[in-house]
Amino acid sequence: MIQPQTHLNVADNSRTRELMCIRVIEAMIKEAIPNTPLERLEVIRAVIVYTRKELKCDNGMIIRYDDNATVVIDQEGNSKGTRIFGAIARELRQLNFTKIVLLAPEVL
Amino acid sequence: MISDIVNVIFCLGNCVLLVNLRRMRLEKCWFCSSTVYPGHGIQFVRNDAKIFHFCRSKCHKNFKMKRNPRKVKWTKAYRRLHGKDMTQDSTFEFERKRNRPERYDRNLAENTLKAIKKIDKIRSDRASDHIKNRLKTGKVQRQKEARKQLELGIHLVKAPLALAQDSSLCLPKIKVNVSQAQTEENQPMEE
Repeated sequence: MIQPQTHLNVADNSRTRELMCIRVIEAMIKEAIPNTPLERLEVIRAVIVYTRKELKCDNGMIIRYDDNATVVIDQEGNSKGTRIFGAIARELRQLNFTKIVLLAPEVL
Repeated sequence: MISDIVNVIFCLGNCVLLVNLRRMRLEKCWFCSSTVYPGHGIQFVRNDAKIFHFCRSKCHKNFKMKRNPRKVKWTKAYRRLHGKDMTQDSTFEFERKRNRPERYDRNLAENTLKAIKKIDKIRSDRASDHIKNRLKTGKVQRQKEARKQLELGIHLVKAPLALAQDSSLCLPKIKVNVSQAQTEENQPMEE
């Protein structure tokens, strides 16, 4: 469960390595405004793409990841990096994060 | 085997609705190899993007305990490895994973459904034959041992005195020969 102060990994190749969540905006796969303690102390936006807590999909599928990871995005929701690592859940497409879904090597 | 239904376009009067139907695929549980139907089980995505499907929490928990399915007796992996279940058969060829989605063709779908039923029956018959053959030698052995035990322990079943007196209570193997020639000879002697 992602909360403020949660440290999150970054699953893309933007310059950030680790983020800390300071505010959570929406539900489901949440959009979090994180802080980046390792590289630079800046408040940026990120989308949570992996959670250790299980995620329930519409078709009844339950997905669980090995860690909590995010993808850094800008204000519009486009990812800042050019590559994304790992399989991404389909819910991101519904939430209008199509760019991330396109970059993902595999979509669940 | 179930094809992916990707996009279905509904036309409602003026507006066109693009409905993204979910992909439905019957996966195999990573631990026990049973089929995972939609709505069941959990999928776990490892950091190297390898996906593990589990049919139920039992398998999921065993995985979390880092157990090797090849060593856990009730899994298909163990049974196949130890020759308990059929490993090689031509019916397995039908169930390969195909990633190319098939365009929907009514005849193809109908024939596939019929074929699935038939192949399923053939495969399960062959699998049960495999098990039967495997158990055959044990059955013969057990019958031999049972017969021997009966011969040795017949006094537990019937008292030896009763057995000697009443010849009808004898075991099928022990034959009491009462031939006509003998009785004729005996009669004058007994009298």
